[in-house]
Amino acid sequence: MRRILVALGVLAVGATLAWAASHESYPRPGKPSKSYTIGVLVPQLTNPHFLGQAYGYMDEAERLGAKVILHDAGGYQYLDKQIAQIEDLIASKVDAICLVAVSGPGTVPVVDRAAAAGIPVVNVNVMTNNEKVAIRIRSDDTVIGETMARFLHERLKKGSVVMQSGPAGASAFELRAKSFRAWIEKNTPGIKILGERHSLNTPDQGLKNMEDFLQTFPQIDAVYNSADFVAIGAAQALKAAGKAGKVMIVTADFQPDTERMVREGVVTQAVVQQPVTMGRWAIRAAVNILEKREVPKLLYTPILSVTKDDVATVDLSTVRAPAGWKPK
Amino acid sequence: MTADSDTAVAAAPRPRLLPFAWDRVALPGFILLMGLVFGSLNPNFFSWTNLTNVARQSSVLALLSIGQTFAIVSGGIDLSVGSLLAVVSVLGSMQLVAFGLVPGVVGGILAATLAGAVSGLLIARTRIPPFIVTLGMLSLARGTAFTVTGGMPVVGLPTEIQWIGAGSLGPLPVPGVIAAVAFVGAHWLLRRTSFGRYVYAMGGNEAAAIAAGINVRWHKFFVYCLSGFCAGVAGIVITSRTLSGQPTVGETLELYAIAAVVIGGTRLGGGDGSLIRTLFGVIVIAVLGNGLNLINVSSYIQLIVIGAIIIVAVGFDLWRRERRA
Repeated sequence: MRRILVALGVLAVGATLAWAASHESYPRPGKPSKSYTIGVLVPQLTNPHFLGQAYGYMDEAERLGAKVILHDAGGYQYLDKQIAQIEDLIASKVDAICLVAVSGPGTVPVVDRAAAAGIPVVNVNVMTNNEKVAIRIRSDDTVIGETMARFLHERLKKGSVVMQSGPAGASAFELRAKSFRAWIEKNTPGIKILGERHSLNTPDQGLKNMEDFLQTFPQIDAVYNSADFVAIGAAQALKAAGKAGKVMIVTADFQPDTERMVREGVVTQAVVQQPVTMGRWAIRAAVNILEKREVPKLLYTPILSVTKDDVATVDLSTVRAPAGWKPK
Repeated sequence: MTADSDTAVAAAPRPRLLPFAWDRVALPGFILLMGLVFGSLNPNFFSWTNLTNVARQSSVLALLSIGQTFAIVSGGIDLSVGSLLAVVSVLGSMQLVAFGLVPGVVGGILAATLAGAVSGLLIARTRIPPFIVTLGMLSLARGTAFTVTGGMPVVGLPTEIQWIGAGSLGPLPVPGVIAAVAFVGAHWLLRRTSFGRYVYAMGGNEAAAIAAGINVRWHKFFVYCLSGFCAGVAGIVITSRTLSGQPTVGETLELYAIAAVVIGGTRLGGGDGSLIRTLFGVIVIAVLGNGLNLINVSSYIQLIVIGAIIIVAVGFDLWRRERRA
């Protein structure tokens, strides 16, 4: 009980820290009289982001008296497996499905089948291209990019920035980079964007990109990163060049390595999504749909901005599963 | 020696401890048992929707396993089939978008058959072992699929293609019918044609087959063309099920195809095996995956169970052979 109260207190502080122009809350509905069975599909549980989300689904379902059937595709490459998992959920006549799609276009036919079977689909985090979903719940990637831009506007005011925009053609990363650039160009004439690079979201790619940037441009004041792994690579390159802490790093997402580097002052700002919140809201939306209540077509979960100053106090209960938690 | 080859059955003395052909009923019995367990734990298991689901989901594995059976019986192996799916998915989709339904389907199947022909040519004409040639093809094909798409899915496919993966012929799901027809055709090819007899012969003893005047090179080449063709048809089914071209699709499926063949009781060394056994192997893997999903067993446990079954099935098969010998 005390832990919950502390968590709530920290949550209030955390919420004021966030600049997010997203939906502030999506309240828990009353406990339904019936126990619903909800199928949940995530791409990869080895990613802490989805482990946190799994916790959100499970814990929220328990509070609403619902049962969760959790399926892990085991990686974004296993589209055929996720399709089979959805078909099996349809055959077991679950009441609703929460889907984090491993592929936008690839999940279109199977979501059609769920719709044909009368099973509502709550689309979470990674979007399917099928328009027949009942509701979409995700972070607003435009806000993520703008939050980083605002931060540099306030902290840096004047200087040169390079951009690591992550995988080309991946919509979430593209949106972040685009909105970052647009906000800077519109509001901060003092900040110049020197160059932009697309690459896979891996540390070695980030390292290589940053090394090349350092060779190309003699004066770099900040590095924008669409995703966490390229940011970690950039940090390594800056450390090797003796510039860690002198060049600002802003990045999206918050894995344990990112957290350590924020504490060390190497990563200046991390804009953090709330996967636990995504899971909770998805279950709430599913229950609302099943109880024949109106739901919006789209919900944006809030984001947090974390810096060295608040990394010790920021509430991560909406970001990560409790330490040692495992899905049953 | 196997119970499937008629002469062997006639020649082998009936062992006392095994009063009847255990190998003919062991797998069907196991499948029945799984059905009873899953059915009692989740009544939806026996629903028509679910049974057609199993047929749809297993059709891709079934098609790959048919090609794999020929490769293994001939004394080889084909590791490239999972990656060939990606090649078909990507190239087939591009052609579907550009030229329409028939050119897309034919082009996709041709692409995989051609890749199989390249493997077959290398295996037939050089001394590089099939394991190495098809391992190389695995990487080559996957790399090609990624290169031509830049890693992104191909979209905008004509929706008529969905009929292949999602459609029905009367009450029967189309991909299940495709797999069934392929099984019958392949069984006939392996059992009733001279090509099939030569496949057994060269798998059993290649030197003897050559001495007997069999054109081993030509038939080896044809085995891998056939495996590529099967992967091509499977690739079209998966393209239809995903309504997009996916360069990542089919990863590790080649291992499940090999697993299906050996669970069925076909020896990895070659010269022995049948498509009926492979069919049972495919059903075991498909029903297991589906049933465990239906009773909400985590996919990690599923991997453990499938691994254990591969070892137990092959162990049982060896034990039975020794008893008989």
